[in-house]
Amino acid sequence: MSTLATRARTFKPPTRIGKVSTNLILTIAVIVIAAVLPFFYDSGSGFMNDATVALIYVVMALGLNIVVGFAGLLDLGYVAFFAIGAYTMGWFGSGFFSTADIHIGVSEQLSNLPGIHINWLLILPIAAIFSAFMGALLGFPTLRLRGDYIAIVTLAFGEIIGRIAVNSDEGVFGIGTFNLTNGRSGITPVDKIDIPLVDRFTTLNLRPWYWTALALALVILFINFRLRDSRIGRAWVAVREDEVAAISMGIPTVRVKLLAYAMGAAMGGMAGTFLGSFYNTVNADQFEFSFSIFVLAMIILGGLGSIWGVVLGAIVLSFINTNLIPDVLNGVPGKLGLDFDLTELGFGIFGFLLVIMMVLRPQGLIPERRHMVEFEEGIGGGDVETVVETRG
Amino acid sequence: MESASIPARPSRARGEVVREFISRFGLIAILLILPVAYGIQDLQDDGDLSRLATNIKDGLSNGAIWALIAVGYTLVYGIIELINFAHGDLFMLGSFVAYSLMGTIGLTVATGGIGLFLGLLLILLIAMVACGSLNTMIERVAYRPLRSAPKLAPLITAVGFSFILQNVGLLWLGGSHRGVPDLIESQERFTTIFGVPLTHGDLLAVVVTVPLFFVLLNYINFSRIGRAMRATAQDPQAARLMGINVDTTIAFTFLLGGLMAGAAGLIYALYQTDVWFFAGFTAGLIAFTSAVMGGIGNLKGAILGGLIIGIIQQISDNRIGTEWTPAIVFGYLVLILVFRPQGLLGEQTREAG
Amino acid sequence: MSTSETTPETTLPPQGPAILETNYLTKQFGGLTAVDGVSFRVPERSIVSIIGPNGAGKTTFFNMLTGLYKPTLGTVVFDGKNVTMKRPDQITALGVARTFQNIRLFGTMSAVENVLVGQHARMRATVFGSIFRTPRVRREERNAQDKAREVLSYVGVGKRRHDDAASYLSYGDQRRVEIARALASDPKLLLLDEPTAGMNPQESEQLTGFMRKLRDERELAILLIEHDMKVVMGVSEQVTVLDHGEKIAEGEPTKVRSDPKVVEAYLGKQG
Repeated sequence: MSTLATRARTFKPPTRIGKVSTNLILTIAVIVIAAVLPFFYDSGSGFMNDATVALIYVVMALGLNIVVGFAGLLDLGYVAFFAIGAYTMGWFGSGFFSTADIHIGVSEQLSNLPGIHINWLLILPIAAIFSAFMGALLGFPTLRLRGDYIAIVTLAFGEIIGRIAVNSDEGVFGIGTFNLTNGRSGITPVDKIDIPLVDRFTTLNLRPWYWTALALALVILFINFRLRDSRIGRAWVAVREDEVAAISMGIPTVRVKLLAYAMGAAMGGMAGTFLGSFYNTVNADQFEFSFSIFVLAMIILGGLGSIWGVVLGAIVLSFINTNLIPDVLNGVPGKLGLDFDLTELGFGIFGFLLVIMMVLRPQGLIPERRHMVEFEEGIGGGDVETVVETRG
Repeated sequence: MESASIPARPSRARGEVVREFISRFGLIAILLILPVAYGIQDLQDDGDLSRLATNIKDGLSNGAIWALIAVGYTLVYGIIELINFAHGDLFMLGSFVAYSLMGTIGLTVATGGIGLFLGLLLILLIAMVACGSLNTMIERVAYRPLRSAPKLAPLITAVGFSFILQNVGLLWLGGSHRGVPDLIESQERFTTIFGVPLTHGDLLAVVVTVPLFFVLLNYINFSRIGRAMRATAQDPQAARLMGINVDTTIAFTFLLGGLMAGAAGLIYALYQTDVWFFAGFTAGLIAFTSAVMGGIGNLKGAILGGLIIGIIQQISDNRIGTEWTPAIVFGYLVLILVFRPQGLLGEQTREAG
Repeated sequence: MSTSETTPETTLPPQGPAILETNYLTKQFGGLTAVDGVSFRVPERSIVSIIGPNGAGKTTFFNMLTGLYKPTLGTVVFDGKNVTMKRPDQITALGVARTFQNIRLFGTMSAVENVLVGQHARMRATVFGSIFRTPRVRREERNAQDKAREVLSYVGVGKRRHDDAASYLSYGDQRRVEIARALASDPKLLLLDEPTAGMNPQESEQLTGFMRKLRDERELAILLIEHDMKVVMGVSEQVTVLDHGEKIAEGEPTKVRSDPKVVEAYLGKQG
């Protein structure tokens, strides 16, 4: 049997040097490197832009990882929470609602502008709570469904939210005339993040953006580690593996699943607020099905359920998306004497990657030990047996 | 200690029957809301139901296309419990094949009678075969190796192939809609029944799909391979033990689904006089909703579901606005999956046909 | 000294307050009646068996007791509370624990983690507490870990196996872990569904001894579904026989064994 499999057999505690585990040392090293990275690059460079976006994708991926990786709920509609977070930023941090005049915690400059302008640090928890609520709401109908149906329902919800985003410039579902999202034109400009005691966030100096994104990512990372090794983390794994056994052991499966949806959604929403401000626009074209698959691919590539794997997967795919395809690959066809734009192949390449991944290495780059066992022993899948007739 | 009751002995099995009836009736009621509501509105506004009737007629023609695609979803899901995400995009490629062949063969609006008929027949066959083979190839390459993997794996692979096929379409005919020559004068009405105009497009939809469905239903129900398909869908292990080559049977199922998708592609191209690389995504979701509506795994259900969704879609397009139609159709999908996942005709078990 | 063939310790069916009582419990699936009007009680601190030919409805009955199925008719009263319509997790929290006929461990978790899951209902850690690892949560985790290893040793799982992934454990160890997981929730009633399936006679005897130990040391009531007659006769204070969903006999083991209806159910009509 392979060494990977042998490693999966026994779950040993981490190796230690003195009192400190090697894991902790590695973690600190990574954090330090990430923190000083901006000093090696121009503060307005393309790399800083891509790195900031990558960090936000890390947050998204970690959120989805809770839903799909930990709890085993196949969510194909994650884009909905990106949208909810982004629109929350748009509504409460811009001149969109121009008839209103609310200012909380924002700079002098913004205080004079019409609209609702609330400091991002306050919008963050608002978006988190709103997203969490929507996450539970949208997750609720899926509770009794089997795996692939959960996928379809969540996909449908993602699409419905997307449609609402596109069409709600005049009423919602044809009712009323309220402009909720400004459709394809979207909400722009969006207030820049403004953290007291920190330099102004501008489009030229990306360092404050980067460090804020890093801080957010680290917080979410921390939360993930704590949750994974806790009572609720175990409950998620149990529900994923065998829902009947889990509920028979006293785990309130409904609550546990809704919690997974809520937490994942909250993280997606928070990431959404950042991007809304960072991109300086929130419009419906940002919210398509392919985004949900993009984030899902990150956690699969990294290793479903594996926290560091997911981080790696997010960074890799984010950079491939912003860097590799546009800049690097663009030159290749020309050199080969072909005449087409490789960015047009982005989709197809991505799809191809997905297929290759699943056929060759479905456990991902840094497989999570439990999923390793799952792939080898063919266990789990989280399907609810048709024998269970429980209520609620 | 709480006193324990000693109830009488009524036949509670009846309760199950009632619940089943309510759930099926409830679904029918939900489906009827839109037509009935707008029917009433029509009677008030116009004094007759001709607008609604036209909606329904158009819906049936569109629905025939969705039904053809839905058949592919339902057969595949019935036999290996996989939602073939790429199926809608397969249909899209079918429409592209049809469009391209029209140009290659040289069919134009001027081509008359027999030439047109034979040309279209040829295109139909080629489109069907192309999609059928493509579907079979995808199964062989992407799904078969993953048959014993957790369900997530083939699902993601299917999504991957969906993207690949979409990109193929994008590269083939570009990102904009392409107008298809109106070879059959699809909007030209040839007769009017009860104030409802029937067009060439409607005729096409009926003339192509009805025979296809007829052949398909009979084939599945009466042929040896059809029996093999149904057996494999119910219990692959047992089927294997009975000497059925499960791999071949599954491959054949994909072939059938692909053939239907190819036919749908041609009809769509002629009927809508438009092809677009992204049409497969929406069509796929609509067709999948149809399959679920009728009862996933149930062939007649897929056909019925397609027609019903076609009507709902048409009413929505015409009355509420095309931009809201996808949301409404998906809303129905969610409702069905949550409240009556077995659809109108299906049972909970794996079964095809 | 083997005691498996001798009569159990008490020769009278156990009296005393019932930890579990069902009244006319019935389950119908469409047209099929799987369990038909079974009234039944398990006295506190006793070991009681349910037997019957295959398809008699025993596991269906169990599933109604634990809340996995909703009864069509009848009631289940546990520890004085009506639990007929309660969810399985609620019933477990009230003090019922079970094992399964086909072992249902969480294969990707270690033995310890499985037993920790068993303690879920007895722990109070919230999301907030888990994220911030408050002193209370830390203490609770530590205690739970200690308890998990303790229970695993109690059921006979060697220390070296505690951190092994459950699906890689031997069959016997897996059964033990399942029992440990059930015990971890501090139940008052333990339901064991064919616990000796796949065991050889020595192992079965170990298990029956262990069951008596549980009853006496932990003041548990144990309800068994069993096929192994030696086990049933050797450890039960009361035996209930189901056939085609109905209760056809009940009483002390030796009496039940020679009841003609029971013989007929197992062997078919004689002559």
